[in-house]
Amino acid sequence: MPRPGIVPSPPRSAALAVLAGAAALGLALTGCTAATPSAGTAEPASGGTLTYASGDAEPTCLDPHVGGNYPQALVSSQFLESLVSLDADGTIIPWLADSWTVSPDGLSWEFTLKDDVTFTDGTPLDAAAVQANIAHLQDPATGSSTGYLALAKVTGTEAVSDSVVRLTLAQPDSALLESLAQPWLAIESPTALTRSQDENCAAPVGTGPFVVDSWVKQNAITLVRNEDYTSPPADAEHDGPAYLESIVWRFIPDSASRYAALQAGEVDVIDNAQPDTIAQAEASDTIVHLDAPRPGASNRIELNSGKAPFNDAAVREAFIRSANVDDAVASLFQGSAERSYSALSSVEPLGVSQPDLFEYDPAAAATLLDGAGWSEKDADGYRVKDGVRLTVVFPVSTNQSIPAEQSLFEQIQATAKETGFDVQLTKLDLSSWYTALGSNAYDAVSAPYTKIGPDVLRILFHSDGITPAPSGYFANHAQVNDPELDSLLTQADQVSTGSTTADADQRASLYEDAQDLILAGFYILPLYDQQNHFLLGSAVEGARALPTVSTPAFYDAWLNR
Amino acid sequence: MFVLWAVATVTFFAVRLIPGDPAEAILGGPGSQTSSEALAAVRAEYGLDQPLLVQYLQQLGRLATGDLGRSYALNMDVGPLVLSQLGGTLLLAVLSLTVAWLIALLLATWSTGRGRLAGQIGSGLEIVAAALPHFWLATTLIVVFSVWAGVLPPISTADARGLVLPVVTLAIPLAGFLGQVMRESLTAALESPFVLSARARGESDRGVLWRHALRHAALPAISLSGWAFGSLISGAVVVETIFARPGLGRTLLNAVTVRDVPVVVGVVMVVALAYILMTILTDLASRLADPRPTETGNGALS
Repeated sequence: MPRPGIVPSPPRSAALAVLAGAAALGLALTGCTAATPSAGTAEPASGGTLTYASGDAEPTCLDPHVGGNYPQALVSSQFLESLVSLDADGTIIPWLADSWTVSPDGLSWEFTLKDDVTFTDGTPLDAAAVQANIAHLQDPATGSSTGYLALAKVTGTEAVSDSVVRLTLAQPDSALLESLAQPWLAIESPTALTRSQDENCAAPVGTGPFVVDSWVKQNAITLVRNEDYTSPPADAEHDGPAYLESIVWRFIPDSASRYAALQAGEVDVIDNAQPDTIAQAEASDTIVHLDAPRPGASNRIELNSGKAPFNDAAVREAFIRSANVDDAVASLFQGSAERSYSALSSVEPLGVSQPDLFEYDPAAAATLLDGAGWSEKDADGYRVKDGVRLTVVFPVSTNQSIPAEQSLFEQIQATAKETGFDVQLTKLDLSSWYTALGSNAYDAVSAPYTKIGPDVLRILFHSDGITPAPSGYFANHAQVNDPELDSLLTQADQVSTGSTTADADQRASLYEDAQDLILAGFYILPLYDQQNHFLLGSAVEGARALPTVSTPAFYDAWLNR
Repeated sequence: MFVLWAVATVTFFAVRLIPGDPAEAILGGPGSQTSSEALAAVRAEYGLDQPLLVQYLQQLGRLATGDLGRSYALNMDVGPLVLSQLGGTLLLAVLSLTVAWLIALLLATWSTGRGRLAGQIGSGLEIVAAALPHFWLATTLIVVFSVWAGVLPPISTADARGLVLPVVTLAIPLAGFLGQVMRESLTAALESPFVLSARARGESDRGVLWRHALRHAALPAISLSGWAFGSLISGAVVVETIFARPGLGRTLLNAVTVRDVPVVVGVVMVVALAYILMTILTDLASRLADPRPTETGNGALS
């Protein structure tokens, strides 16, 4: 007898029914992900409207070339596609480009495009289209940040033939393919790109399985099926048009209402699920949990080594040893987040993890601080040295840190206090938080960074990252300035091809050495992967998270209702 | 006119004084890694490189001609943006005010003139209602009516069902305030001499209440309604966010977060204007309900 709530499949025999029931029970107990259709013999049904409710801010522009943040990627990956994609193992696979070659010196890449692909406005996908896109990304007037940085080494493009485009680089770039797999470098119709930016922001034109039909601002975006779709990535489950007829993309900022809407059946998929709703979903029969950590850096606390007190490595290590993170993560995240001991996300194949460096050891912390000259304590129990208290100014962004994470920081504050650190948490909105960082008014900070591949280490830990952009933004919040590390990261970045095994091994080894230096320098306190949880209603089948930047992919999805 | 000027001034300086660069808001949000040329170009175009006082005067000048400017973040003119969102919030405010009035009236009339217990129950309910915060009330109503009972949608839908919970959330605390005020003047009215003469004429208890005393009870509530409208608009910020309703409240919240100065000023101006109109309307309604001349003026002036 199947458990209530599971759609019973017509049992061909009693044994099959028992097997199906046991499998479902087993899957439910382990909190499975909805990567494949559930235990049923139903075929994908065409039609239906899927309603998606995002907890992220509504993008101001649907074109991910403009700016380039995650909320844009979430929706633009439904109707725009990139030259290459990533499979679940982290291998680059073909998408709009069928194949590619690179010259031995690494300065010239050629991409052969898939045949017979057209944008939804009828323009064909050809070399000229790719050139127009790269030009658009590199044009300062577009205002691209993510795409612009990713193509920093590309100095020119050439249409070798209709379907072959050549990129010329100033230096070898081992991260080029990983960058091109990202949604912020998606290929849009060159005809559409000639429109004004306002027009292109309202409805970008791509090659994807869906098309932007309408966007009522502050309300919802409506996407409809692209009936002439021919370009799924190499790891898709089927080809031809998508099953879903349309997707309605809504924005529900409050986590509780978002989950309530999912439970009530008003929406089919939600993102940014918080630990409490994840726990409820896993306990229920009707809601499926899809855990898709984002690539790039892990969520970590960066310690500002550019000024006191954290310019002393012993003090940094003491802080890390005085923070009890494991217990806090276990209690606050209720099993939805696993502790990380790496600078990189767990989905990065080249990540290095060192649990021994991050053990909670208040006795060792006390010894380290005594040795570093912080042996005196004031009346409140905080350590002092030459009359200065051991203060850690820690601005927290309420936009980027979920309530569970803010509570985690409070617990770290409490355990660090026992060793004598005065951690001052200030909760700020995004704009004020960036101002605080830009004026170097912080000792510890937690800032996410999503990027495919270990190249993110260069962005976050190379000394070049300490110099702020004109807007005041900079990425190397730990202000790491280590010539040996710089050299490793620069070498790894320029390993010439990355496509031969010897080069791939060399790259992996360089990044491993770099991570060893970063972790041993106690510049960061890794917490967990960048959390990215989706909850799906029971009618949704075939949805998955694209292995590129873990955005939801509905090409193979269909509705069983 | 003075009020509008004061509102524009305070809002302008308030938003500009919060840390955060509007030029970044224009170029796609804080933390964007834009080039210095782009930032400089934007500053010149929007006049952000001028001294603050000059910018303020320019803004005043634009407002005086009715030009609310262009949103930094949304790439839309502020005027059409505010107009498109105004309807939703106004609907919410008007419905909530109406429902609050009904609840307050029923509660006040039921619990007055029936003895101490009824009065105390009524008073107690009103105090509790007035103290309920919107975000708590909204979440509780969602849990009870959407999750447990499943009779109402937890977020705003296209039809009227999606309006019920948001309206009730806004109406209950307001009903508490209005009810307390109504009860006070109703009780006072019931102790007046004219009630005695009405009873002597053979009027019933309830009849006295409805036909004579109610007008007196309604007066302070009518004047409060002007203030109530303002507090409903601010309550709408929370309610629109929780119930995912499009409206001015949500627009305002988003605009403040990204330092979108023109939108913030535009929304606040429109709300101030609506508040002024509402105050005028409640003044007129007061005059109609209470034709007694004011103490300082003579009959010809009222």
